[in-house]
Amino acid sequence: MSAFKKLSKIGVQVGILTAVSWIGTYLAGRFDWPVPGNIVGMLLMVLLLQTRVIRLEWVEAGGNWLLGNMLLFFVPAAVGIIQYKQLMMTSGGRILLVIVLSTVAVMVSTGLVADQLARVREKGGSGNA
Amino acid sequence: MLSLMGLVMTVAVFAVAKRVYKRIPLLFLSPLLVVPTTLVVILSATDVTYGEYLAGAKWISNLLGPATVAFAIPIYKNLPLLRRYALEIGLSAVLGSATALLSSVLPALWLHLSPETATSLAPRSVTTPVAMDISRSLGGVPTMTAVFVIVTALVGVMAGPAVIRWLQIRTPVARGALFGTGAHAAGTARAFEFGDVEGTVASLSMIAAAGATLVLTPVLWPLIGG
Repeated sequence: MSAFKKLSKIGVQVGILTAVSWIGTYLAGRFDWPVPGNIVGMLLMVLLLQTRVIRLEWVEAGGNWLLGNMLLFFVPAAVGIIQYKQLMMTSGGRILLVIVLSTVAVMVSTGLVADQLARVREKGGSGNA
Repeated sequence: MLSLMGLVMTVAVFAVAKRVYKRIPLLFLSPLLVVPTTLVVILSATDVTYGEYLAGAKWISNLLGPATVAFAIPIYKNLPLLRRYALEIGLSAVLGSATALLSSVLPALWLHLSPETATSLAPRSVTTPVAMDISRSLGGVPTMTAVFVIVTALVGVMAGPAVIRWLQIRTPVARGALFGTGAHAAGTARAFEFGDVEGTVASLSMIAAAGATLVLTPVLWPLIGG
């Protein structure tokens, strides 16, 4: 497939995914759901794929492109740190300390519990625990 | 033309950084660290305000919507895995969300960070759109939360492999749960480097953690004096 054809395919598929995210945002706002529109869109998308209203091949290439470049989409928000120069000067070290401690705490607790559960289940044998 | 500057600049710096990191995969060359730092330096040096930058760069942020929807694809493809590991994923998400909230807000207050900063730290361990929404509803500053979410991603991507080694976590489901719950989308991307099961469980854990945080935050918030 030519580069142009591949690019336009990704473009169209990203368009489909964008449309679903808009529908999700609309629904969340219309019915005042506490769930963010994008998550509603994601659940809707699982449903659409499951019911074969949308076929996997219609969105897979675009979806993989979006997921593969996920870090790029975070960049503008991260640059937002520039608005908090003063705060970073006075509290940056303490904020970083909190984030490091808390992230490690989350990973240790979830990792240990999930590991124990998985091992107990494996020992159970047939795995229908 | 000037309005597109933020867009062009971000994509260009990202493309270069990605290429460099591919060649020299050192942790401190990670695009997630290098790209925002470079842009902050450029903006500071040229006296371009964040608002002016965002006029063009917002088109990039807007892709987070369809990118979140795109997580439906690995979920759909791995629904049997979700059913099989529902207990591990669900329990990790609930435990991880509560741990994240308490271990962010309480130490922040002990360290005498401002209530505004502590509130903005509260939802920092879940994916950006959800974190910003929760921050807004608690009275935090969503843009500040977005920055903390990114820092969490970076810390998690670095700390995850060390935690796995230190605690000798061998089951793929536990490795995935730890990455998805602790470091959302960036952690999920890192988990895929361990394996497909790790990555898929991570993406499901990320979503479950977002859901659990949405439900648990209003319940736990009054208990910690919010």
